[in-house]
Amino acid sequence: MDLTRRTLLKTQAAAAAATAANVALPASAQNILTGEDLHLQWSKAPCRFCGTGCGVMVGVKDGRVVATHGDMQAEVNRGLNCVKGYFLSKIMYGSDRLTQPLMRMKNGQFAKDGEFQPVSWDQAFDEMARQFKRVLKEKGPEAVGMFGSGQWTIWEGYAASKLMRAGFRTNNLDPNARHCMASAAVTFIRTFGMDEPMGCYDDFENADAFVLWGSNMAEMHPILWTRITDRRLSHPHVRIATLSTYEHRTTDLSDMALIFKPNSDLAIMNYIANYIIQTGAVNRDFVEKHCNFRMANTDIGYGLRPDHVLEQQAQHANDAQVSSASSFEDYAKLMSQYTVEKASELSGIPKERLEALAKLYADPKVKVMSLWTMGFNQHVRGVWANHMVYNLHLLTGKIAEPGNSPFSLTGQPSACGTAREVGTFSHRLPADMQVNNPEHRKHAEEIWKLPHGLLPEKVGYHAVQQDRMLKDGKLNAYWIMCNNNLQTAPNTNNETYPGYRNPENFVVVSDAYPTVTAMAADVILPAAMWVEKEGAYGNAERRTHFWHQLVNAPGDARSDLWQLVEFSKRFTTDEVWPAQILDANPDYKGKSLYDVLFANGEVNKFPVNELDPAYENREAKAFGFYVQKGLFEEYASFGRGHGHDLAPFDTYHQVRGLRWPVVNGQETRWRYREGLDPYVEKGSGLQFYGNPDKKANIMGAPYEPPAESPDVEYDLWLVTGRVLEHWHSGSMTLRVPELYKAFPGAVVFMHPDDAAKRHLRRGQEVRVVSRRGEIRSRVETRGRNRVPQGLIFVPFFDASQLINKVTLDATDPISKQTDFKKCAVKVVSAATADAGDQQ
Amino acid sequence: MTGECHISSLVVHTRPDKVPAIIERVREIEGAEIHGGAEAGKLIVTLETETEHQVVERINAIQLLDGVLAATLVFHHFEPVQDQE
Repeated sequence: MDLTRRTLLKTQAAAAAATAANVALPASAQNILTGEDLHLQWSKAPCRFCGTGCGVMVGVKDGRVVATHGDMQAEVNRGLNCVKGYFLSKIMYGSDRLTQPLMRMKNGQFAKDGEFQPVSWDQAFDEMARQFKRVLKEKGPEAVGMFGSGQWTIWEGYAASKLMRAGFRTNNLDPNARHCMASAAVTFIRTFGMDEPMGCYDDFENADAFVLWGSNMAEMHPILWTRITDRRLSHPHVRIATLSTYEHRTTDLSDMALIFKPNSDLAIMNYIANYIIQTGAVNRDFVEKHCNFRMANTDIGYGLRPDHVLEQQAQHANDAQVSSASSFEDYAKLMSQYTVEKASELSGIPKERLEALAKLYADPKVKVMSLWTMGFNQHVRGVWANHMVYNLHLLTGKIAEPGNSPFSLTGQPSACGTAREVGTFSHRLPADMQVNNPEHRKHAEEIWKLPHGLLPEKVGYHAVQQDRMLKDGKLNAYWIMCNNNLQTAPNTNNETYPGYRNPENFVVVSDAYPTVTAMAADVILPAAMWVEKEGAYGNAERRTHFWHQLVNAPGDARSDLWQLVEFSKRFTTDEVWPAQILDANPDYKGKSLYDVLFANGEVNKFPVNELDPAYENREAKAFGFYVQKGLFEEYASFGRGHGHDLAPFDTYHQVRGLRWPVVNGQETRWRYREGLDPYVEKGSGLQFYGNPDKKANIMGAPYEPPAESPDVEYDLWLVTGRVLEHWHSGSMTLRVPELYKAFPGAVVFMHPDDAAKRHLRRGQEVRVVSRRGEIRSRVETRGRNRVPQGLIFVPFFDASQLINKVTLDATDPISKQTDFKKCAVKVVSAATADAGDQQ
Repeated sequence: MTGECHISSLVVHTRPDKVPAIIERVREIEGAEIHGGAEAGKLIVTLETETEHQVVERINAIQLLDGVLAATLVFHHFEPVQDQE
């Protein structure tokens, strides 16, 4: 690179940053260069990484992505980009990228105990089809399953849902989003009758106080954090309160940092509700008009296997989701137990600081935005925690208007768009419909042009249950797409890995890289990623956004969409549907699943001449029609006309995303409020129209202890989570060698006094041991995460230190989401332990 | 060695009273240049480095400076050094 080019690039870089920051630079530095000068072709795309949904501009040169910058026109990030976004230009070019299918073979045949050998797509699909047909024939649809992803594009999730539910007639489809936001999704439905936040990111510029519940936004959602710090700095009255079980980057920058004992967030929120009631801060008018009171079943267990002692002892392990109608008086009575003394004792936070926090919610003049992610959702009482924060906003009427906003953040780029809106959970259909509702199934059958009675009503296996059923030999043909479950599932050594290697099971993994999950499979299919395919994601604020295919995937790598649709050609309805359905609907006899699911007159109705000629689209060319557009339009017909409206397909290629419901071309920033949401009737002021009576539910629930707490032997809390540099499970971010060096291996963040007590030095090798398993790691007593005594924090991205061998597979009994944030461990010196073993 | 050249830019949000001290610290960082933004408390910084590791390292170093609220990447470009030579 010569000096001129270097200077040109630097000028462009500075100009881009200045525009993003709305800062004027000296005239000499203001010439923003066009892509042509640098031989770059720029196109828009959403970032591949988190649920924020930043817009990036992607620069392509000679068929490769070489540059990215924040998209100035994207409202979400306004030209900024975080360090994860910076990985984008390199994530596709790791040296171990998978470029052809691999299958375990012996003597030229598939063999479960064979070695991986390169095979053609035909060979791989032939074997897969043989195995899926065998299992369907021997055991039926309940023995077939798929584990999908909140990183799937919208049409990939939708195609998977059709193939599994309508093709193979099983609801054993669940996304990895189960691990990250099932608690949030379930509670939205339970409270408002509709999923996803009522507010949006514009709340950041309207709130007076930000309360972060178990969310390290400065590291995990840095762009949104920038919007909070901008608000804080330009409006001195604004306050930031952060609740966490350890100190981190976000607590450093907050006005109030409240470090609480694991699980005691439940008691803190109930105390705040009690404070609101006792000080007369309840917005009576709002509550009477817009809220119902309900009481949750209590003593609900921990979502462990049914024979676990904790499940047998629990009174309501089997009907945890049930609640009963109640009254303000009963709710107030339950809350009255949560005095400031009790909350302080359970949480370890001084009384004055709890009171200061409660005042933010109680003061009618303070607009409050509450934010949360994994700290709430990965919680054995995650659904209750979500309810409790809604309770605070509902009691005070601080909801569904600019700045007053309970806001659930998400971790994956399309956790909302694909996992939730498309409905790739084991209990869901598109547009918030449920598989066990006969009307909803009938509606889906009509839109899909399929015989009545085809769709299965039984709720399928959720993520953790899939692992258990693989292990138990009840789920035998299994396809994993776009996630690294062996690294991210809880208690993997005992509950996940055995199922993958169970000789009765056939496991396929589609991925771009040889993750630990892929290496444990029987067939590995190479996937195209991100801008190697046309895509659509939906972010945390209901924003749907699209991108074009910008480069080709390497070698034989193909998108998940192509894989799903192409695979459907290998099955006929006669092979997989019951004879009685075919006898009653003879037109469907002898058709391939491809014919009935994808070449159905809807999905294939847009010809390839509707493609934008400036961009490649491999899938459309392979199938001979604009498959993404056909799938999207068919999918969108589920939601139009009742609050889930999406814009026409082509619109999304022009704009930087739109927030649904999109009605008459207009997006909706705040739902449920008259004047802001077209679905609210005139004169009503506000309607939670997801529920038939248009009211939201205030749900009373108590504090209950976690599934496992430290004791004499296992004397420390273990909290797991991420660090800034590594997102998802590291399967992409660790592929950049220099970045791997930046944070090479996971470490154990430990309080210096806890280390001293155990005679451990910083950097010393240790074993982290639980009742389930152990890993080796190194002690870190300094650095950005500072834990209190009695608690350690271990990041989960490191494939050589699978911390999920140690974690407990306890879940929220209602949402079935795993609690990765609390179990009991001990930490011992690796050297001492080795000596001990030899004795 | 035929390495890579990485050019990136950041917006550094700073507490207004700490701006002069932060500018001084950033100037000490190899390959870092400040292009403006001091008045608004949002420094425009470019980095020129040989590896991505150094980009991350430098962003982290800047992020941990006293008074820095957020250091956010805007632009990143990389290409082989010999490409244009």
